[in-house]
Amino acid sequence: MHRKSYLTAFTTLFVALLFTLWPAPTAQAAEKTYTIGTDVTYAPFEFANEKNQYVGIDIDLMNAIAKVEGFKVNIKPVGFNAAVQALEAGQIDGVIAGMSITPERQQKFLMSDPYYKVGVVMAVKQGSKIKSLKQLKGQRVAVKTGTAAGAYALSVKDKYGFSTVTFDDSNNMYQDVTTGNSVACFEDSPVMQYAINTGMKLSIVTKPANPTGYGFATNKKNTALMAKFNAGLKKLKANGQYTKIVQKYLGTGSKKSQAAANKKNQETDRSFWGLLKANWGTLMGGLQETLLVTIVAIIFATIVGILIGLLGVLPNVFARGISTTFIYIFRGLPLLVLALFIYTGVPSLIGTKVPAFVAGIITLTLNEGAYTAAFVKGGIEAVDVGQMEAARSLGLPFGKALRKVILPQGIRIMVPSFVNQFIITLKDTSILSIIGILELTQTGKIIIARNMEGFKIWTMVAIIYVVIITLLTWFSKWVQKKVQAS
Amino acid sequence: MTDTTYRVQMQDVYKDYGTNHVIKDVNLNVKNNEVVVLIGPSGAGKSTVLRMINGLETTTKGHILIDGADISQAHVDINHIREKIGMVFQHFNLFPHMTVLENVILAPVELKKADKAAATAEARQFLETVGLTEKADAMPASLSGGQQQRVAIARALAMHPDIMLFDEPTSALDPEMVGDVLQVMRKLAQQGMTMVIVTHEMGFAKEVADRVVFFDGGKILEQGTPTEIFDHPQEERTQAFLNKVLQA
Ligand SMILES: Nc1ncnc2c1ncn2[C@@H]1O[C@H](COP(=O)(O)OP(=O)(O)OP(=O)(O)O)[C@@H](O)[C@H]1O
Ligand SMILES: [Mg+2]
Repeated sequence: MHRKSYLTAFTTLFVALLFTLWPAPTAQAAEKTYTIGTDVTYAPFEFANEKNQYVGIDIDLMNAIAKVEGFKVNIKPVGFNAAVQALEAGQIDGVIAGMSITPERQQKFLMSDPYYKVGVVMAVKQGSKIKSLKQLKGQRVAVKTGTAAGAYALSVKDKYGFSTVTFDDSNNMYQDVTTGNSVACFEDSPVMQYAINTGMKLSIVTKPANPTGYGFATNKKNTALMAKFNAGLKKLKANGQYTKIVQKYLGTGSKKSQAAANKKNQETDRSFWGLLKANWGTLMGGLQETLLVTIVAIIFATIVGILIGLLGVLPNVFARGISTTFIYIFRGLPLLVLALFIYTGVPSLIGTKVPAFVAGIITLTLNEGAYTAAFVKGGIEAVDVGQMEAARSLGLPFGKALRKVILPQGIRIMVPSFVNQFIITLKDTSILSIIGILELTQTGKIIIARNMEGFKIWTMVAIIYVVIITLLTWFSKWVQKKVQAS
Repeated sequence: MTDTTYRVQMQDVYKDYGTNHVIKDVNLNVKNNEVVVLIGPSGAGKSTVLRMINGLETTTKGHILIDGADISQAHVDINHIREKIGMVFQHFNLFPHMTVLENVILAPVELKKADKAAATAEARQFLETVGLTEKADAMPASLSGGQQQRVAIARALAMHPDIMLFDEPTSALDPEMVGDVLQVMRKLAQQGMTMVIVTHEMGFAKEVADRVVFFDGGKILEQGTPTEIFDHPQEERTQAFLNKVLQA
């Protein structure tokens, strides 16, 4: 009887709260809106400018094509891997992210006509003695996962006898070379050129190899969208708009014009304070999202954790089984795996999109909820068994005995664990950058993708985290004192 | 079959913990107003018997009837049965997050036996019975063991039980505290409360018991009036046990 009422309460609450968060389906617009995924760190094809607006060749091209072909686009910078996975899972309609056209991708997706021709170049630290592939023997080389340049590096790895280390975004890969951990990296030519224009201390030492084209990708069945893209691209090339877009980001060819084009999207003051001032709004936006995700996740995780924890102490084998299994599974799964599973795995199973924010909240709710359940259960079990026996011997039913006698004592035991869990939740939100939630960590990545100022920006991000965690700790200590005094 | 002149009837009761046979074929009936004292060596099963009477432990075999109702039957509301049976534990088990008064009124108020004002007024009377009126607003941790145990008795009395169970109520107390607790129990016995008491206080047992039951190895080995058991024990084991506790 108790199990039933707890279970019902649990499911009702969880489902109800989830649906309040789930965006309501928008009414069918006159023009069809397509959701297009893109990378966050692939300048000059896509990046946030100093006003935190998404710009770049891919973005401008996509918008221009949408305009001439009469449809609407909602461009989501979720990261390259996340975008490709979301496309596979049917979460989004297309991907434009400096994506090389390869036979493998053509098997999986529809790929458009090439809209930009690139080749793979090798770059080394400025002043490095390494000038050719042959000199890489026995050295370490940095590559980015899932890119054609990375694939090229792997294909010549054995021939030239170097080892590789992989990174998730370009900036980290460049940094590995400038710090000297790796001697070289491979990147598509325009991207490498952009980074160097922006001040990355690297030099390109090879001619573009393996020329390929960048293409726009859709699901195999989405021939309608693909046809529109190809048609639109032709029109833009014919009317000169295409050239304008490219020149806007890469100049007319000379280094000078490139640098000038680049400047338009960059901070002018490169000092720590200058960068902080220029990016303050963006960072605060990221912080706001982090706090929002944290607070919502804490609320859900606490509710779920308490309910699952309570199930674990009910005098019912079935209820305890549910509790133990929940704790075992979701405490055991790495947060990253859980996030990707829910965001990209579940939709391909159930056939509906899961918005990143909702996926992030579910991920944290399950993970932090499992930890919460474990200490709620432990806190209750830590109360002397004699307390329950005394309460029951007075005729109090189990539920009343639990509420009036056991929980008030258990909560005192649990308070420090709650505080600890809140802080962990705040930190764990940073992992959600993997599914493209624009929280503080992701914001940092985006800024760095544009300005290549990894050290300074990560310092700012770290300081913000420390300040917030300190405030949260103070607040929690204050709450803790209040609870323990009462 | 059911005899309501008996408050408690244990019929062919067995209790196993896995392969450990803790209670073996116990038959024990307690009449209204009767004071029964259970004695016996450690591990004999005395606590288990008490705990089975108010359903804190289930029986493996056999039946336990309270006022004629078989407590193992599904339709019998064990919470309702427990309201009629007060239990006092060796380690008091007061609720540490509540004041003395809150401890006493919790069950009557929660179970709607009385509104808060009435329950509070009555609770003060019970606290007077156990001699602790002035401690009503104290927290349990600030009381001595003897005082805590007397609060525990008041808490049990607040539900107006027909039967009181005591499991070694004085064995966790300093010697100078024992007297006060026994005094309260003596008063209850004189007022006609039906009581089942596990104790090692043989002098007290002799004085208040209508019947003394000697447990050994999960069985009732011998029972009778205090005189029969203490002065003329029939069983060797009983003699050995009494020699040991009376010497100590
Ligand atoms: N929950 C339990 N699980 C397993 N065995 C138990 C449990 N409770 C009691 N026992 C065993 O049952 C037997 C009787 O225990 P019980 O507590 O009833 O003895 P007792 O006569 O009250 O002893 P004491 O004078 O030490 O309190 C003991 O052997 C004990 O180990
Ligand atoms: Mg005992």
